[in-house]
Amino acid sequence: MASIALREELRPNLLDVKDLTVNFETIDKRVDVLRDVSVIIEKGEVVGVVGESGSGKSTLALSIIGVLDVPPARITKGTIYFDGKEIFPSFDEKNNFRGKGINMIFQEPLTSLNPVYSVHDQMEEAVNIGEPKMGKKEKEEFIKQTLKEVMIRDVEGVLNVYPHQLSGGMRQRVSIAMVLVQRPNLLILDEPTTGLDLIVQRKIIGLILSLKEEISSSILLITHDLAVAANMCDRVYVMYAGRVVESGNMKDVLRNPLHPYTKMLKNSVPEGYSSEGPLKVSSGTPPDLRELPSGCAFNPRCPFVKEKCLTEVPELKRQTGRSEVACWLYE
Amino acid sequence: MNEPILEVENLTVQFRTKTKMFQPARELEKWKRVLDKISFSINQGETFGIVGETGSGKTTLAKTLVGIYKPKNCKIKINGKQIDFRRKEDVLFLRRNIGIVFQDPVGSLNPRLTVSDIIAEGLPDQGKLTREERQKKIKSASKLVELPESKLESYPPELSGGEKQRVSLARTLAGGKKILVLDEPTSSLDVSIQAQILNLLRDLKKELSISYIFITHDLNVVKYMCDRVSVLYYGQVLEEGSTSGIFERPKHPYTDDLVKANFSFTSSNLSSNIHESGEPSREGCIYKNSCVKRYDECENAPPTFGRAGDSVKCWLYKDEEKKS
Repeated sequence: MASIALREELRPNLLDVKDLTVNFETIDKRVDVLRDVSVIIEKGEVVGVVGESGSGKSTLALSIIGVLDVPPARITKGTIYFDGKEIFPSFDEKNNFRGKGINMIFQEPLTSLNPVYSVHDQMEEAVNIGEPKMGKKEKEEFIKQTLKEVMIRDVEGVLNVYPHQLSGGMRQRVSIAMVLVQRPNLLILDEPTTGLDLIVQRKIIGLILSLKEEISSSILLITHDLAVAANMCDRVYVMYAGRVVESGNMKDVLRNPLHPYTKMLKNSVPEGYSSEGPLKVSSGTPPDLRELPSGCAFNPRCPFVKEKCLTEVPELKRQTGRSEVACWLYE
Repeated sequence: MNEPILEVENLTVQFRTKTKMFQPARELEKWKRVLDKISFSINQGETFGIVGETGSGKTTLAKTLVGIYKPKNCKIKINGKQIDFRRKEDVLFLRRNIGIVFQDPVGSLNPRLTVSDIIAEGLPDQGKLTREERQKKIKSASKLVELPESKLESYPPELSGGEKQRVSLARTLAGGKKILVLDEPTSSLDVSIQAQILNLLRDLKKELSISYIFITHDLNVVKYMCDRVSVLYYGQVLEEGSTSGIFERPKHPYTDDLVKANFSFTSSNLSSNIHESGEPSREGCIYKNSCVKRYDECENAPPTFGRAGDSVKCWLYKDEEKKS
């Protein structure tokens, strides 16, 4: 345990998000999408953010790299530090963190790649940002080399093709390659493999992890799939209705989930054969953020609901080790 | 062994494609075979899983089974009755017996009808019923799928994804269908809602002793839901067998790749099993361009498919087939 403590001191946090609160203005109401979310990523760590639709996972990612649509969204509270420098609320234009600092791979590569530029031209643009001093011949070589690294065999063929002509797995590879040439310190992956076939998904995830070692970056993985997170992440944050309800080391959370929502999420993934009884899930649906119940947002679905849960919102409290949980069961 | 409720033999579906511009009209037409000689049979109360990746023909198979697409040639028997796709009565008989739940609940529910009208669409003898009888049937169907009665007068856009899928299911069940084709019924839902629907489907199967043809790409769901599984690859069945057999002793290299690529809480060693996959081959074995165990025999002719219970379409198991 001593060695872990020592390591924590030596490595400052790469990303430090504190009490981030985001709301969206609608015609008649202000809807809180993120409420007091704090996330820490250390150097070299793979951190997962797991939650169902409407839990605020993507909003968190967009606020970190600062591309949230303002309005309707508005960040009302919180600070974001990246590599020791403040990037929100105040932000120095000279200290541009996007690209070489933080970079993002989106869920749907077809919308994140530009349809009117060929793969070569888009790669060149990325290289110009990442390595502005590189000579022309060197640049060409670098582009080809990077495409090979993401396991594209027919490099020459892919270079002159437009994004719509590629298959889903190939497109995602190209967008990984574009990120790779900039060697970011922090890579945000927003559901990078949703909608891809199983074998392709496995390959892309294996690829991302091996490249992570190579360029020694950290990863923030946003996903709804606990099984994917279990295979990729060191640490995980579980989100529900805009709040972090549990966080901790991935292995601990899987072995011993604390929050009733995390338990339900784990039980929702079918693992055994049909003979092994029904899946243990409670009824109900993820809440409508416009009409959240008072107290803990999970209380209508929670099997262990107490009186206190109906009135007071639980705060994140540290439990054993690194795990934290926001639930009145663990007072 | 009881009589199979549905028998499908040599189901072949092909689509017409147009290739190049400025060619004589006769050469324009080309046929692309989407399903190639699919055979299977399903017993009463059984869940038959069909697994495949994008483009393997899963949805085409679902749509053919309810008579949306016409197959080129095939023998389909329902309860021993032979279906001839050229005869209108036969197609109607097929549709009366096989129901379908589509993947996209938004596209499959008419937004201008209330939930009770949508469920009533599934009643086969709607015109002959009195108002009370109709209402009673709608209510019992919605009770089966655990849809609250208060939702009966709302419109589809007011419902959540899980509720929409329940309405879809109620519409099929209202007609008293015994075979349900479920085409990715849970892939657009959140995991906790997916678990609720899976539980519901299992309860319904026990209660009504209906059979499911469960089409999905999610291996965890297949493992949990199905009794037997068939693995589809670009229109061909590569392996068929019991669920435990497929998952614990996958025979075909493709099935092996699939099972290894699947994510579960216990799986490990991410970096292994990354080998390049190629296009499906036109000559020889269809999977040979992606296969790690490819050898001489795979080049020439496509492997034959054994008729035994657990069967596999691969040259590696040639000797075993002969013995059995």
